[in-house]
Amino acid sequence: MAYSDKVLDHYSNPRNVGSLDKGSKDVGTGVVGAPECGDVMKLQIQVEGDRIVDAKFKTFGCGSAIASSSLATEWIKGKTLDEAEKIKNTEIVEELSLPPVKIHCSVLAEDAIKAAISDFKNKKASA
Amino acid sequence: MEHQHAPGEECPKCWAKVSTPLFCESCKAILPATANPSPFDALGVEPSYPIDAMALRKRLLTLSRQLHPDFHIHADTGTRALAERNTAELNAAFEILSDDFRRADWIVKSLAGPSESDERQMPSEFLAEVMEWNETVEDARDAPADSPARAELDPLATSLEEQRARVMSEISDRLVPLPEAHAPVLREVRRRLNAVRYIDRTLGEIAELRLADASSER
Repeated sequence: MAYSDKVLDHYSNPRNVGSLDKGSKDVGTGVVGAPECGDVMKLQIQVEGDRIVDAKFKTFGCGSAIASSSLATEWIKGKTLDEAEKIKNTEIVEELSLPPVKIHCSVLAEDAIKAAISDFKNKKASA
Repeated sequence: MEHQHAPGEECPKCWAKVSTPLFCESCKAILPATANPSPFDALGVEPSYPIDAMALRKRLLTLSRQLHPDFHIHADTGTRALAERNTAELNAAFEILSDDFRRADWIVKSLAGPSESDERQMPSEFLAEVMEWNETVEDARDAPADSPARAELDPLATSLEEQRARVMSEISDRLVPLPEAHAPVLREVRRRLNAVRYIDRTLGEIAELRLADASSER
């Protein structure tokens, strides 16, 4: 199967790889997995007010999973929580030209964004 | 729709009861089975999670000896094609039944239980653990062969093997006796099958690393 140029670009030069301080009250962490293939993805956001000022990810998975999470972090940086929450996996599929067998990778990225946002909101609510 | 000759039904040629939809052991007719018969039907064994591996193997060999295209080289084109197709079905069925994971997966699907993606939400503690396994493997991959990071792989592999065995026995407990279709317990089985996938992925990566080390030592 051939990867699109955009997938290859994100795969060979992933953006925003790394970690943020999980314990910080301004950081939301989402860890999600794809049982279809055993891929696992961690996505973290740093929030100021209601805006995402930084995002980091760490993905163990195929090229499409890495590219999907790399793209997701690029897209959510600078967005408000509400805007980021509206990102759909289909937009990731379109941007990266993912083939049907790799659609679950984009679902994983969407789930990771939502999980990180929900973790941040939970932290804030319990603070 | 083609009629499928399930075990217990009669052979359309000699009317003997058949034990597999692929073949009549009485008159040796190769039967035009529908695609994807139940693997239990194909091998003519009772549907059940526990399986007698020796008996299954014997059954495969017995049926193969009669079905295999090599034994039908002088038959007409249609029979040869059927022999080839049914042999492929038989082998596919054996592959499923002889593997504990695939057999459990097939049973959950056949009882209309949840699919892999229906049950994708794993507990976050479990996923955090999966991240840690992957990080250990990644550190080891980047480190030289005799480094402490590489030595971490052995205890990780041992603990994953133990965890896998434990989860597989929990699956077995839930599939004996065979649950009813749509039973809630199928969800519990699917969750555990999903956990095994993550374990197997990491075990596979450890095996790959060890293989690379072994071949570079040569």
